[in-house]
Amino acid sequence: MRPYKTVMLSILLLLMVAMTYAQVNKLVFSPHWLPQAQFAGYYVAQDQGFYEEAGLDVEIIHPSVTVNALEHLKSGTADIISLFLVTALTARSEGLELVNIAQFSQHSAIMMVSMKSSGIETLQDFDGKKIGIWMSGFEEVPKALINEYQLEVEWVPILSSVNLFLMGGLDIMTVMYYNEYNVLYLSGIERDELNTFFLSDYGYDIPEDGLYVLPETLKEREDDLGKFVQATQKGWEYAATNKEYTIDLVVNLMRQQHVSSNKAHQAWMLDIVLEMQNIGEKPIKETQLFIADFEKAVSVLKERGIIKGACSYEMFFNPVMPDIQK
Amino acid sequence: MIKKNSLSFRIISHVLAITVFLFVVIISFNYYYSRTTIKESATENAIFLANNTVAKIEQILQPMEKIPAMVAALMEVQPIDRDSLFRIVKAIVENNETIYGAAIAFEPGFFPEKGRYFAPYAYRDGDQVETMSLGGQHYEYFFMDWYQIPKMLNRPYWTEPYFDEGGGNQLMATFSVPFYQIINGERTFAGIATVDLDLDWLTDIVSEVKIFESGYAFMLSGNGMAVTHPDRTMIMNKSVYSNAEEWNAPILREIGRDLREGISRFREYQLPGRANSWIYYRNLDSNLWAIAVVFPDKEMFAELHRMGTIIISLFILGLILLTMSTAGIVNRLASPLAHFADSARTIANGHFDQKLPEIKTKDEMKELHDAFSHMQDELARYVVNLKETTAAKEKIESELRIAREIQMAMIPHSFPPFPDLPQIDLYAILRSAKEVGGDLYDFFMIDKRFYFAIGDVSGKGVPASLFMAVTRTLLRSIADKESSAKGIMEGLNKSLASNNESNMFVTFFLGIIDLRTGIMQYANAGHNPPVIIKPDGQVRMFDKAKAIPLGLFEDFDFPELSLQLNEGDKIFAYTDGVNEAENQQEELFGDDRMLHIIQQNRDKHPKELILHLEEAVLSFVNDHTQSDDITMMTILYNGKT
Repeated sequence: MRPYKTVMLSILLLLMVAMTYAQVNKLVFSPHWLPQAQFAGYYVAQDQGFYEEAGLDVEIIHPSVTVNALEHLKSGTADIISLFLVTALTARSEGLELVNIAQFSQHSAIMMVSMKSSGIETLQDFDGKKIGIWMSGFEEVPKALINEYQLEVEWVPILSSVNLFLMGGLDIMTVMYYNEYNVLYLSGIERDELNTFFLSDYGYDIPEDGLYVLPETLKEREDDLGKFVQATQKGWEYAATNKEYTIDLVVNLMRQQHVSSNKAHQAWMLDIVLEMQNIGEKPIKETQLFIADFEKAVSVLKERGIIKGACSYEMFFNPVMPDIQK
Repeated sequence: MIKKNSLSFRIISHVLAITVFLFVVIISFNYYYSRTTIKESATENAIFLANNTVAKIEQILQPMEKIPAMVAALMEVQPIDRDSLFRIVKAIVENNETIYGAAIAFEPGFFPEKGRYFAPYAYRDGDQVETMSLGGQHYEYFFMDWYQIPKMLNRPYWTEPYFDEGGGNQLMATFSVPFYQIINGERTFAGIATVDLDLDWLTDIVSEVKIFESGYAFMLSGNGMAVTHPDRTMIMNKSVYSNAEEWNAPILREIGRDLREGISRFREYQLPGRANSWIYYRNLDSNLWAIAVVFPDKEMFAELHRMGTIIISLFILGLILLTMSTAGIVNRLASPLAHFADSARTIANGHFDQKLPEIKTKDEMKELHDAFSHMQDELARYVVNLKETTAAKEKIESELRIAREIQMAMIPHSFPPFPDLPQIDLYAILRSAKEVGGDLYDFFMIDKRFYFAIGDVSGKGVPASLFMAVTRTLLRSIADKESSAKGIMEGLNKSLASNNESNMFVTFFLGIIDLRTGIMQYANAGHNPPVIIKPDGQVRMFDKAKAIPLGLFEDFDFPELSLQLNEGDKIFAYTDGVNEAENQQEELFGDDRMLHIIQQNRDKHPKELILHLEEAVLSFVNDHTQSDDITMMTILYNGKT
């Protein structure tokens, strides 16, 4: 009996070591929306083996109707998630202590559009109008803008489509430059039939997509996270120079997930998302969160009463890339 | 076989050219006309198919639309038995096979005891119809298109097609009707009644549409999204607008814009790298969804092109047959012509009895045959005639030749005629215009007297020559009896005038030189006055005759004149063939020219003088036919010795 017991114990021990070893290199990433070119860098890094090269075993999962990215992070089904900056700040103030490890988006793609035929040409014309807005957690930025101009508007929450606007049920619609703005175009609305209001033109150029982890993960696996960010950045660079391949990759992924897709839209989205990653004149490096952007986001959320206070920039932004200082 | 210059070749080439021309004209017209007709019928067909499909779809949509409308009307009747609503939606689904689901969704917290969400819903699950209440944290139906849009618009609404959440690939669309209730005296929005349409029904209807070989129909949503399409990857992924971008085909965008505005069209279009096609598109009656029927251009005209190929092949075959049969007919019709040509050549060689080709028809060839045959007979007859005539003519000619010889023998023509008479030297010629002539000259000696005469009978030919012979014979015989010029002339005249039935006459000059005295007696009966040439160079004509020619009036009194000749004097006598010789310009040689030449040659011997004159006359006349006899005589008187 004794030798048998020893063998059993040894096997058990070996299995545990193997599992631990595997766990160290395995990372689960969830973007905050269904597959589309907005997340092309991750898919390319995966498909081109950049993660593998970095010694990582990355699995990409997606949020569903019932489980969003935050919940994946909370429950531990995902190690890393992408989120909008304002969403992350809101979540943090609600008690989820997540930290930003890389800020890919450097600009706001939020904009509002109105039909030219409606005669709405300036922000002042918004007064008394119906504005469609998604209930995706970033509605606070447009609301802050409208509040700043002291306009009385009727906010109409929208779940996912532009159809209400197309049917004339809204005067103004909040859209993402890389997404719904082009959906309107691909639903037959000419670009010159729309008046556009980019939030970035009104002092609300708040960056969007960033990578978030729980503090424990950061503490335990900082090295792996650094490799992940680096490989992802490589993925974005590859996507920028191999757009056709990237679009095919994204569209195929969307097909597999039964998400409506076409190349025309994904090509547009890839172009704009890449444009949004441009740091421009900010005195920072790529994937770095600019402190002024952080402060603008915090002040908007505070002003809107969404958050009472906020942690410091240093607490929130924890770059994992070796060459980026806080 | 057919020579390039042959009649067959020309007839065939003309016939072929005209045939080909007519064919091209007819075929072009036919092609154009057929093309137009086919296009019209294809247009009609496409429109019919689209309309028919729309009608079939409407047969499903319109009754469906009534159901939520009725439910909505029912919901306005209060109070509502909440629990019966589940039975209502279940009954709706159970009794309508095209309906996938039905819901009656209320505003948030409409029934406080039911909480925030209350939306009885029935749906198919395999063969079963299940019921449930929609709504929840993750299904905030108030913000979904099927609820929010009709609520905001206050009117019924067909959603864009969508895939059933979690239901795999079930393509659906929802028709929603808002309903209201009177709350606090006000008609207030209370909720939405819906039915879900299983779009497989529509897909089946649309995919039944076939036009030509590969023509098909597809359906688009109000946003231009492909709802049905033979290429399944298009469905719910691609819209006319996204394809317009991907294929760089702005026409697709135009089509989408047309449909958004409710415009239907039949139009030609071509996507980059694809065959030219035709499309007809129109909206449904119920909503902005649209049906489009597409077919490739080449298929529309495929039948026409197939027919064209057959017709052209048949025509080429026909052309070959036509060429061969025309060649046969023309060769058969024209072959006698070659035989006629051979016959004509043989006939031309004198074989008048050459057999002609046999003609059995009664056409122009027969006429040609008859004409040839007639020509053959006439030629044979003519040639017989000709032979006889020629023989007769030859005979006459031979006789005339003899007559000429006789005539010429009648006049002296050995010169010098009297070698032993030194007083006289002379030379004379007579050149008849025809075989025999009417001119004459003569000279002879009787008792030391030298007689010479020259005459010109009226008319020409045989009668004139006979008259001349008679005159010459009479002159000799009368000169034997009479010694004076006057006597001889009157004797001659009397003899000639009597029995002169044909009224012929002769101009006549007679001279008698007495060699002993040198006196010349002479008489002139209407003849050209001779010329006297003196040794001193004096040349002059005798006076014109005052007497008429011989043979006219029996008893005419002819005067006699005389002249003393001296040594060296020459007498030049001639007929009007000399001075009235005509050239081609009808000019006369004339007395002046004649006298001039005589003057130039006055010292010459009589023979030389005459030969010079003859040469001058001949060169003047040149090639012009000699019309009259030419007679010249020169007598040189050498004195008495």
